[in-house]
Amino acid sequence: MLNPLVEKPNAQTVPRAGSAGVTLNGHYSPPPKDKDGKIWVRTSALVQSSPEELYKAWRNVELAPTWQEEIVDVRRTDETTSHWIMKSGDKTIEWDSEVLADEPGKRIAWHTIGGESENAGEVIFEPAPGGKGTIATVLQEFRMGKIASAWETFVGRNPKQAVIENLRHFKALVETGEIPRIQNQPHGPRGTIGDMKKSLYGEKIATPPGDEQIAS
Amino acid sequence: MKAVCWMGTSNVETLTVPDPTLLNPHDAIIKITRTAICGSDLHLYDGFIPTMEAGDILGHEFMGIVEEVGKEVTNLKRGDRVVVPFTIACGSCAFCKKKLWSACDNTNPNAHLMEAAYGYSGSGLFGFSHMMGGYAGGQAQYARVPFANVGPLKIESDLPDEKVLFLSDIFPTGYMAAENAQIQAGDKVAIWGCGPVGQFAIASAFMLGAARVIAIDRFSERLEMARSLGAITVDYSEENVNVLTALKDLTGGTGPDSCIDAVGSEAHSNELQGFYDSVKTKLMLETDRPIVLRQAMQAVRKGGTLSIPGVYGGLLDKIPFGAAFGKGITMKMGQTNMHNYMKPLLERIENGQIDPSYIISHRITLDEVPEMYKVWRDKKERVTKIVIDPWAEQKIA
Repeated sequence: MLNPLVEKPNAQTVPRAGSAGVTLNGHYSPPPKDKDGKIWVRTSALVQSSPEELYKAWRNVELAPTWQEEIVDVRRTDETTSHWIMKSGDKTIEWDSEVLADEPGKRIAWHTIGGESENAGEVIFEPAPGGKGTIATVLQEFRMGKIASAWETFVGRNPKQAVIENLRHFKALVETGEIPRIQNQPHGPRGTIGDMKKSLYGEKIATPPGDEQIAS
Repeated sequence: MKAVCWMGTSNVETLTVPDPTLLNPHDAIIKITRTAICGSDLHLYDGFIPTMEAGDILGHEFMGIVEEVGKEVTNLKRGDRVVVPFTIACGSCAFCKKKLWSACDNTNPNAHLMEAAYGYSGSGLFGFSHMMGGYAGGQAQYARVPFANVGPLKIESDLPDEKVLFLSDIFPTGYMAAENAQIQAGDKVAIWGCGPVGQFAIASAFMLGAARVIAIDRFSERLEMARSLGAITVDYSEENVNVLTALKDLTGGTGPDSCIDAVGSEAHSNELQGFYDSVKTKLMLETDRPIVLRQAMQAVRKGGTLSIPGVYGGLLDKIPFGAAFGKGITMKMGQTNMHNYMKPLLERIENGQIDPSYIISHRITLDEVPEMYKVWRDKKERVTKIVIDPWAEQKIA
């Protein structure tokens, strides 16, 4: 193998396959394409915490309602299974979820095993290059169904954006102990257009409450 | 409480709205004792910043007394006197750790809007559009201040409000503009715009070692103030004045070592390009009028530095990038990393090195605010800086 550059004091070894399929043999791979009624989203965040702390916070599924939008209740039903309730507008959706892969401090993968949503996903925690925090990468797929259409119909947030926002909430909560919010602050009369725009800005979706147990 | 609400382009009203409440564990509620109108508020007034909505409370330069603190606030208590920075920073993300406070990751609840426009989101700001966080502002009697452990600067001396109020934005902004200009001892510096930020940039340029500061504006009261700080002034609206020629004449033909654009997106010009940009922005083919930016890129010397504290919001047209590349210039810009400057600048005020209150021209009540936005925008009176006492009932003259 050719080795034209020998001086690289801080370079890290390139993995054969990067997590969540971000790289393969040192080359970037785009996220999977939406097709056959399946939609995909891949998103990542740099979090100032350790992979172990992030794993612990994410794995505690009963805390999910504190940082995931519209999730009102999660109950553990077994070591690897849980029951999820989501409320979007006045519509309630329930499903069961099962953990497929559980690698403490590294990775969690799950899929639904019944109920009104069909989705599967994984989250990977790995030390950021140079040891500057942890990169959390989420890869999630949805089957278009009640969950996706309810989101879009009632709150104007598509499920892809919801995954991105949830990771953002998770990061803020871990790093600062709270999720930034402006709902319920004072303002003058909004008028009709202002009310419409609230939906457009995603401000109609309640910001999850946050919980200090998750702050690192 | 009473608050100044944006109700549409060129329309602000002083209305009675509910008092703010604690919403997060690191919040504090501040009873505002002094607040101000910023030149950048005029960009909102004129509808130049997208995602403003009817009912938004304006204002991002304020100070006051801590009224109530959230349960995680440890370094402030009821009764403390504080100046609040206009940028909101969490203090724990990778950017805050690098002291790039205005790039904070965790304070913009509407980060997705800014990501769509700019690629990434900066910190939340008070009273400055939904894209910038949608936080209620400080032209009001009370405000909710998030991350109160990180932002507010405690004032423990008995300096009057007016001397420390501008630590909330324009003094640090002017100072960072001078710092970004990479001024070295003996340098020649040109500053466009002698409003409040320009004034503090002039003062800071001298503090950082500039030998000559050239200040450009068209209003005699501002130019007088600039001269009082020791700058040489150029009135671009005078007959036969060409700014580029003036800057060559005043720098021995080499051009200024550093140029500072303290004007931003709504520049005015006497020349044809001013008309060109006005038409294009009205047709929504361009969002900003970058007249000063173009001029400064042209004027700065070879290898010089261009610092931009003036606010730009969107897409700019006809930027002479060839000139920037051809001369090998450095450009530095952005929202102020407030938290780096508030304390050192407070020390300069306490030492008596500078009294920032010299720029104040008007002292008003909240009820007078809507009228004063118009007066300032239309440059009807000799306005340099408007300060508001949110509790005064009677006109303050």
